[in-house]
Amino acid sequence: MAEKKKVLVIGGGFSGLTAAVETAEAGSEVIIVEKAPFFGGRVTQLNKYFPKLCPPNCGLEINFRRIKTNGDITFYTLAEVESISGQEGNYDVTIKVNPRFVNDKCVGCNACNEACPVEIPNEFNFGLDKTKAAYITHNQAFPFKYVIDGKHCKGTSCAKCAEACKYDAIHLDMKPETVKVNVGSVVLASGWEPYDVTKLDILGGGKIKNVITNMQMERLAAPNGPTAGKILRPSDGKEVKNIAFVQCAGSRDENHLPYCSYICCMASLKQATYLREQYPDSKARIFYIDIRTPGRYEQFYWKVKDDPGVTLTKGKVAKITEDAATGDVIMVAEDVLAGKKITETFDMVVLATGMVPSTRASKIPGDISYTNEGFVQAASLKKGIYAVGTLKSPVDVAKSVQDATGVAIKSIQSSRRS
Amino acid sequence: MAEATVIKPDLDFVKGVIEGGGESLKKCYQCATCTVVCNVTPDDNPFPRKEMVWAQWGLKEKFAGNPDVWLCHQCNDCTAYCPRDAKPGEVLGAIRKQTIKQYSSPAFMVNFVNSKAFIPVMLLLLAGLLSAAGTFAIPDGEIIFSKFASTHFLQFVFTPALLFGFAVGALGVKKFWADMKKSAGVSSGDLGGSVSATASEILGHSKFKMCGVSKDRFTAHFLVFYSFVALGIATALGVLYIDILHIESPFSLTGTGFPVKIFGAVGAAGLLLGVLLMISNRFKNAEKVGMGSYFDWLLITIIGVIMASGILSWLTRVAGIATVAYSVYFIHLVFVLSLFLYLPYSKLAHMFYRSAAICFLKYSGREKQ
Repeated sequence: MAEKKKVLVIGGGFSGLTAAVETAEAGSEVIIVEKAPFFGGRVTQLNKYFPKLCPPNCGLEINFRRIKTNGDITFYTLAEVESISGQEGNYDVTIKVNPRFVNDKCVGCNACNEACPVEIPNEFNFGLDKTKAAYITHNQAFPFKYVIDGKHCKGTSCAKCAEACKYDAIHLDMKPETVKVNVGSVVLASGWEPYDVTKLDILGGGKIKNVITNMQMERLAAPNGPTAGKILRPSDGKEVKNIAFVQCAGSRDENHLPYCSYICCMASLKQATYLREQYPDSKARIFYIDIRTPGRYEQFYWKVKDDPGVTLTKGKVAKITEDAATGDVIMVAEDVLAGKKITETFDMVVLATGMVPSTRASKIPGDISYTNEGFVQAASLKKGIYAVGTLKSPVDVAKSVQDATGVAIKSIQSSRRS
Repeated sequence: MAEATVIKPDLDFVKGVIEGGGESLKKCYQCATCTVVCNVTPDDNPFPRKEMVWAQWGLKEKFAGNPDVWLCHQCNDCTAYCPRDAKPGEVLGAIRKQTIKQYSSPAFMVNFVNSKAFIPVMLLLLAGLLSAAGTFAIPDGEIIFSKFASTHFLQFVFTPALLFGFAVGALGVKKFWADMKKSAGVSSGDLGGSVSATASEILGHSKFKMCGVSKDRFTAHFLVFYSFVALGIATALGVLYIDILHIESPFSLTGTGFPVKIFGAVGAAGLLLGVLLMISNRFKNAEKVGMGSYFDWLLITIIGVIMASGILSWLTRVAGIATVAYSVYFIHLVFVLSLFLYLPYSKLAHMFYRSAAICFLKYSGREKQ
């Protein structure tokens, strides 16, 4: 039998974590490379996720535990793959690991965060609030140690965080490192980015304060989000009692993303329930081209549709403006079934923006071909390289997990062929 | 059980729309972005989304007496923002072509004037008529165009052609108006007031000013429109001088017929500018809204050639280059005759149907609020 080689997993979101733990628990050594300072990917940013509408920790926590307790898994955060060469059973990979400036001695006491004078936009909350250059995304982040944002930190000239740290956990002189590994197979699981709303000019994306994205809505509803789970609108912190969802904001649109992003209808229906559960006197209106709730998700659609506080209107919104005096959002759509062009005012509007594969902006080094939209062309991948989940097409968490589980066995097989 | 609704698609109508520049028709998935970004549509029963599905399904009868397709000024905001690249602006243009075909008689003329054989046939026709009149040769001596085609000959051929064009247009409008009344269920209204409001809207080009992406259409159309007015005045003055005052052509800017020349020159310059603007707008907006159809380009070409040959024949006459002057003048006549016959069957027929549709909107009270 051939030598048992390691398996490299690029991406530490739900797909990558699944592929990694399944592979490792079958007895293969695994290396996970995550670009961000923390694992869990997009799912960590959600308030609740399908199919069971549980919070992200249910699911993620068990996977983090499986990583921590499995001696066969090595992981790198703030790391990027620089090159991949070779063939099935024998890939040489170079990984660049950027400095975290915080070592394993960190206990998560928050002293560095309090001491840090540099405020930065909180990317984890999609810019809805600010954080410091020394930060942790939320209280169940993994790995549970702070990170210092190398881009914004003033470095050794400031060092207020290092002074505040009682555990000698902060070293601002850490340098990037290069790690070279040899693996038998590679799993690509670098996930997706939300579509850039500033490109949606007629929808006021990024310009109108109370027009937010569906991912921002998740953060607004999440207990560990900027408002501690209270759905308050960004401009004045007013409780949102009257909300509209704009479906296909950029998706199914040849000027933006020509494909259906698969998850946005479910996301908006789900987010309508966030609001309805929080404020019983609230109203939600979803403007759609077609409501797409694949398979058994249809039942969820029926449930939301039966709520008298939720209105579904067929017709795509194509004009959004702001009432400068009140901060309210005015939008125009055609109510197709009524045959009327309508203008309505809302406290806040959520753009159901779609999924862009991370490989559209940052290609994975190596001989990989992509579709025009930036998705990995799975059929053209070299033997021993596998793409998972949203890198191939927009899918939900459940489908990504199924895909990753399937890829685990393939990557194990490849790692033993040489 | 309730009666089933039976839809009878007219496949020839669908084919006609697709072939007439609406090849993107079937891409539409009814999202209604077009209706929302349109600045011209009324809010009640807005267009062009409903027209897109009617055309896809071949519901030809829905377009009989539908003023909305004519209220569209082809700003192409809809096309620019269409998520499916279904080009509603172009499709509505193609639907208008079908409406023109429906209302103008004889119907075969629509196909003829918009076919590639039209201009060559007109050329042969005019050459034949001039030969029959015995003047189809380059005359000697001083260049005087009436030696080539006498004023009487022109009046004999061109006046009936123009009158024919207007008569066909007027008959079409009569049928169209009756259909609009029938489909809107409107029996009476303030016709006089509607006509004067329509005239002031058309003269002021107010609808064009609402266009978003193709804002420059306003300037281009404004120039071409008023240049035609100037050329119409020049022609009327020509008739006055020649037939009533008996002052013979050619006129010059310094001679007695100078007003003819002034209106002619201003009209020609305006047309030159307007047509160039129209062409440049089409290229400029091509990426967003497409290049337009043959139907659309033919009108620009005919007007462009009339204007270019008009100016060139004048200049070569003044310069004394007989061969060029007479040949170019002949081409000029071919295209002017083409324009007159083309008038009620082509894109130019919009002057009849769009005016009628705008007037009907006022008459029936269906205006944008």
